[in-house]
Amino acid sequence: MSRLVNKTKRRRSRMSIREERTAYLYLIPAFLGLTFITYLPLLGVFTISFFEWKGISSPKFVGFYNYVKLFTRDHFFKDSIIVTIYFSLLAVAGSMIYSLFIAMLLNRKIPARGFFRAIFYVPYVLPATAVYIGWSWLYETNFGLFNYLLTKVGLKRVQFIANSKLVVPSLALISVWLAGNLIVIFLAGLQNVPQIYHEAAEIDGANSWQRFRHITVPCMTPIIFYNLLMSLITNMQIVVPALSLTDGGPGNSSMFMTYLMYRYAFKSNQMGYACAISFIFFIIIAIFTGILFATSKAWIFYEGGD
Amino acid sequence: MKVLKKVMVLLLVVAMVFGAMACSKDSTTSDGDKTTSQQDKDSGKKSGDTKTGEKVKLTFSIWGGQDEQANTQAVADKFNASQDRIEVEVIAIPWENYLTKLNSMATANELPDTGMMMETAVIPYAKEGMFLDVSDMFAGQEVLDCLAFKYDGKVVAYSSANEILLLFYNRDMFDAAGIPYPPADAANAWTWDEFVHTAKLLTLDANGKNATEAGFDPDNIVQYGCSVENLTWQLEVWALSNGGGYFSEDGKELIIDNPATIEAIQKVADLYLVDKVAPLSTGTTDDGIPRTIITGKVAMATNGQWNIGTCLNTAKKEGLNYGVAVLPYMKEKVTICTGGPTVVFSQTKHPEEAKEWLRWYNSIENSWALIETGTWMPIFEEYYTNEELTRKWVENEAFPPYDEYKSAVIDYALGYTKQASWYYTDNIDNFYAVLGSVLGEVWTGGTTVEKAITGNMDVLRDAFEGK
Repeated sequence: MSRLVNKTKRRRSRMSIREERTAYLYLIPAFLGLTFITYLPLLGVFTISFFEWKGISSPKFVGFYNYVKLFTRDHFFKDSIIVTIYFSLLAVAGSMIYSLFIAMLLNRKIPARGFFRAIFYVPYVLPATAVYIGWSWLYETNFGLFNYLLTKVGLKRVQFIANSKLVVPSLALISVWLAGNLIVIFLAGLQNVPQIYHEAAEIDGANSWQRFRHITVPCMTPIIFYNLLMSLITNMQIVVPALSLTDGGPGNSSMFMTYLMYRYAFKSNQMGYACAISFIFFIIIAIFTGILFATSKAWIFYEGGD
Repeated sequence: MKVLKKVMVLLLVVAMVFGAMACSKDSTTSDGDKTTSQQDKDSGKKSGDTKTGEKVKLTFSIWGGQDEQANTQAVADKFNASQDRIEVEVIAIPWENYLTKLNSMATANELPDTGMMMETAVIPYAKEGMFLDVSDMFAGQEVLDCLAFKYDGKVVAYSSANEILLLFYNRDMFDAAGIPYPPADAANAWTWDEFVHTAKLLTLDANGKNATEAGFDPDNIVQYGCSVENLTWQLEVWALSNGGGYFSEDGKELIIDNPATIEAIQKVADLYLVDKVAPLSTGTTDDGIPRTIITGKVAMATNGQWNIGTCLNTAKKEGLNYGVAVLPYMKEKVTICTGGPTVVFSQTKHPEEAKEWLRWYNSIENSWALIETGTWMPIFEEYYTNEELTRKWVENEAFPPYDEYKSAVIDYALGYTKQASWYYTDNIDNFYAVLGSVLGEVWTGGTTVEKAITGNMDVLRDAFEGK
């Protein structure tokens, strides 16, 4: 009896070893791709960050100088971290609430539902620069549409993107408006919330807020997590509004990290320094993503229980 | 047997992956810098060195895409057809990657023979010895002095066009207010105070009151008197006008904390903040004239001459009635000039042919299409001094009336011009980026110019010194 058990065990493990080998074999192409397109460049960026390299002149090893300079005497760096995080928090919170709300409306049996679904998705597929230039004319201080309307009703002009305190919220609003992809994903998630839960709760006398709070939201947590993650990463890498509208200004108030990196790398040709920034930036995004993953276990509800 | 099969599969997979990578590498090179032209150039160099009597092959790099490449190649083909010793091939590199690409080409010792260059990159490249001395390129033809980029006493590049800063104005707004037009000749240039006073008369609120009248409502302005461009490089003209500046004349010292400079920039900011005659502009986008004169909401605006060709002509056909005038002044009458250069890279093996090509490329005939539409001004002095040539250039419906343009642009350019600072200073791109950010809060009144500049002098100096 004991021999038999042993034998099956051995046979099974031999099979599983073979399967494992095959699995690794199939993983090789993807692994090579990741290595050469993601990890080696990352290593490259990290290495270059220890050099002073201004394009044409040959690279000079400077140790941690670039990092020391970043944290001690860079005029933009500290502001750019704060601005990027501030923007991301506003844009992520705003677009999550907005898109969940719109998705719930679009999930109802309203007339011309398909049409409205398309309408809310359209901003996402428009070319980004065109969107921002268009919004800049709405926001424009002297002759923009919003200010025209404000003065018509007797209010003071608002410097939406010319004012250093308002520029980030104004840009975050555009980002929220652009979140059509989140709406689509939320919609798909909402359609997967089992109707029987709602019916059961209704029979028990739960009102619509209670049903939203205790049925919809828990069932949606995996989708919320996914959207939160995607939205966070996209918004932390924001660069288009700074490139097309604000040039990082007024002052440093919209000097997003990706834009700062672009400026050092491709405008003033300080490759080593730009690499140091992108490495720090990589770490910051990693930290935020890590936090999100670490807390996810506490609030994500998987129906399968696993 | 089985083992062998596995090894073979593994090898195959590895080969495919590397094959795919090799392909992608190939395609990126051909996208970026046109592999074919590179090969042509190499073979050209070799044959040029070994065999005599064969054509010398030159490359000329420009920024742009396929269209620009085709257009410029068409020009080069004319040159190729005009003689039988030199053949020029155009390489187009996207604007965003231009310097990055040149940097990697320089490292591989594969720079083009000649090329266009960004104004701000000339001195940094010259410092690395990347350009040939081209002071004799235009021998026999007088090029305007202010268009030479100099490093270490040598001319390393000439601008392909001339541009100066001017005052543009809307004639209809002056007529409606019954005010004489701004002066077209530097001798009668307005002082800053006269300029501001006129701007006040032309700034109207929703009730039709101008900024000098009692009861004027600055929150409901429908027409602004002026807009002085506050891009950092254009602001320098006001610093110079007030007897200050950004840099010492040799470009070696930073003097932007000079009280005259600070006062001048503050005066520009005060047009919006105090005088209420200008719309708010934060100096972040380069669309001054379309945003002001062409929207029909601003009576006077300063900007570069090129706007005649790039946007004012089209607006004129649609009914805009504009004129040109000289800039007002604070203490000294001055404007600044600029113009994108073409260069001979020092890695070329055919310096004489390269200079001959650029001399031909920059000839008046080749630039004429841009000159006659008002986008470029000629680089040759005779077009400014010889009336016959001036008339040939300016008597054309693309331009404002001859007399006005002659005195406000041509005579002004000859007599009152200083070079933009990229003609002689290093690290200017980074410096302007930092300065733009330092001044960012000034335009909305968040801080004063004095606080912004003196409080950030160490940052500005670091940027200027390239630290």
